[in-house]
Amino acid sequence: MGTEHTGGNVNRAGEEPAVVAEAVTDEASVTGEGTELERSIGLVGGLSIGIGTMIGAGIFVFPGLAAGRAGLGAAGSFALGAVIALLVALPASELATAMPRSGGGYYFVSRALGALPGAVVGLSIWLGLVFATAFYLVGFGNYAAAVLAEAGVPVGGSVVVPLALVFGALLTALNLLGTENAAALQNYVVGALVAILVVFLGYGGLDALGIVGEPSVPERLLPFGTLPVFTTAALVFTSYLGFAQVATVAGDIRQPGRNLPLAMVGSVLVVGALYVTTVLVATSAVGSQSLSGFGETAIVEVARALGGRAGAVAILLAGLLATVSSANASILSTSRAVFAVSRDAILPRAASRLGLRYGTPHVALAMGGGPVLVLVALGEVELLAEVASFLHLVMYGLICVSLLALRRNEPPWYDPAFRVPAHRAVATLGALASFGLILFMQPASQVVGLVVMVLSALWYRYYANGVSLKGVL
Amino acid sequence: MGLSIREPPVVLVPVAVLEGQDVPEPLAAFLAPAEVVLLGYHVVPEQTPAGQASMQFEERATHAVEEVAAVFGEAGRRVDTRVVFTHDRDQTVERVAEEVGATAVLLSNPTGPVEEVLVAVRGAIDTDRLADLVATLAGGDQQVTVWGLADGGFDAGAAVERARSTLADRGLPAGRVRTLVTDSETPVYDIVERSGEFDAIVMGEGGPTVLSALLGEDAERVAEGAVAPVLVVRAAPGGQPSR
Repeated sequence: MGTEHTGGNVNRAGEEPAVVAEAVTDEASVTGEGTELERSIGLVGGLSIGIGTMIGAGIFVFPGLAAGRAGLGAAGSFALGAVIALLVALPASELATAMPRSGGGYYFVSRALGALPGAVVGLSIWLGLVFATAFYLVGFGNYAAAVLAEAGVPVGGSVVVPLALVFGALLTALNLLGTENAAALQNYVVGALVAILVVFLGYGGLDALGIVGEPSVPERLLPFGTLPVFTTAALVFTSYLGFAQVATVAGDIRQPGRNLPLAMVGSVLVVGALYVTTVLVATSAVGSQSLSGFGETAIVEVARALGGRAGAVAILLAGLLATVSSANASILSTSRAVFAVSRDAILPRAASRLGLRYGTPHVALAMGGGPVLVLVALGEVELLAEVASFLHLVMYGLICVSLLALRRNEPPWYDPAFRVPAHRAVATLGALASFGLILFMQPASQVVGLVVMVLSALWYRYYANGVSLKGVL
Repeated sequence: MGLSIREPPVVLVPVAVLEGQDVPEPLAAFLAPAEVVLLGYHVVPEQTPAGQASMQFEERATHAVEEVAAVFGEAGRRVDTRVVFTHDRDQTVERVAEEVGATAVLLSNPTGPVEEVLVAVRGAIDTDRLADLVATLAGGDQQVTVWGLADGGFDAGAAVERARSTLADRGLPAGRVRTLVTDSETPVYDIVERSGEFDAIVMGEGGPTVLSALLGEDAERVAEGAVAPVLVVRAAPGGQPSR
């Protein structure tokens, strides 16, 4: 950790970017002082972060909304989202194995393209994650309300926001207290979710093919034409935001050269397959018309149609778990995003301070949990979800550009364990697809997203103009 | 003094360095004849990236480890030091023990001057390593008690005899080695029970059993219950699988 001021590389408060790790091995990183940082997250933990973040939205919130917009074509929207996510996951994997440091996409962009694009990505991802967390929490509120309704407690939609607020505050508090074994619990929850979904979708798939149950009438493929497939893809892309969170803990992942690519690409493949199957099964079971009428908890009605009350209850509980796990993973990612920019002196160093009592990043967690609660209380989370997608897509596009830039003129330190085959084609397509999907968003989301980016750039100019990060490892 | 040590023992001393854990002076003096690696670790909550903790606490941790190293310095032993920020203590101890080729890992407890050493044998143990360690450490005027705890199929008598003769081979005077074999269905409990009579305990890792998965490793349970520090002899590489 350098504490002397070496000329210009300081922010307004006189803080310099902190060099975190000098050497990287499979089991630990070593700092300049010789201190080792143990890598303790394995492949299962990495997959669980990726899948756990994503699964909540794609299956338990979006199918109804998506089917209302694109009919059966919603399956195409989810498939398109998976392809774009894969096109970005591959370059992100290569960059992560070359720079297995915590910070994820922000870290790659700032090192490859410089501090200004880095700051824009880093700060807007912080806010993007706040938006996504608020969205997951409202999803949770919907499920909690549906559970109460199922249990015969007469509540209306009015409890959704209060429940979301209570749980948001609870999750933030649990993380502040440094609750033990949360990661292990998350692994089990994700495992249980995937198991429930495979059973549910397996049965539903047999039903859709007419092998069991009543034969269903095949639907028209694209009732509203092809354009809604793209606009819906832009909406549901929120359900693919998780794979990049794996890279935000890259510094804590064992055997990063192997586990990072497997966890990122693997989690996209798993959730992509589950999403597409879910939409196919759901539209075949109840039809996209009625599906859209059920709103956020549409998948519960699908389960009811397929498996009666027991099916509905199982999926309700799964929905509770999934939305909580997504919200919790996002709160943690938010805190890590804040740490990454604060370490590089783009936000005040105080933002990454740890509480002495519990050893948790209390400032960064509050900078995640606090705004989340405000947004939940204000409503408008569907718009915010799309803004979250917008900001992530900007980062994804820039990740692809970073790969192109680094590969064109490879710096001496650039030595990735995993290299993307046909990298130029993959990264170019990834960048074009990421930026292209933004064009299909609602104008309101585009405006809010742009405002966030401009504010981030202004903040950098104001606070951290002297900081340069390009090529600084 | 005429010891003939086959493989000079290396003792790994893990210290929870930011929680104020240290190594008592008499214990450092007891360990000083062996090569010592001092591992200062700090366990970070899952919610905190290890790098974030090191950014804030690295200096304090390094300083605290130097202070513990100075205790060994007083005892005439220069130690290698490591500082690790981790989410998982056991993973870190295991990795560093592997890297430095540790013969034994210390589970620290308060102790006075070490005069009575208990070697508890209650399962397969690497007798050569055990003898190297005990002969090196008890080269002063300590009294060594080799206690075999027979438990079902384990032939404690033979194991104790093997340990006694290997210690003699290493040059430890026979007069300073006592042997004892008892039947025991609850070895951990019995060792803890008698731990008050000894100033240090040496024992093997004991394989991972169903019970140890539930209750923790035998040696850890002994260290928790006993008043004496425990040295856990690791299986030699290529011997029993250590993971």
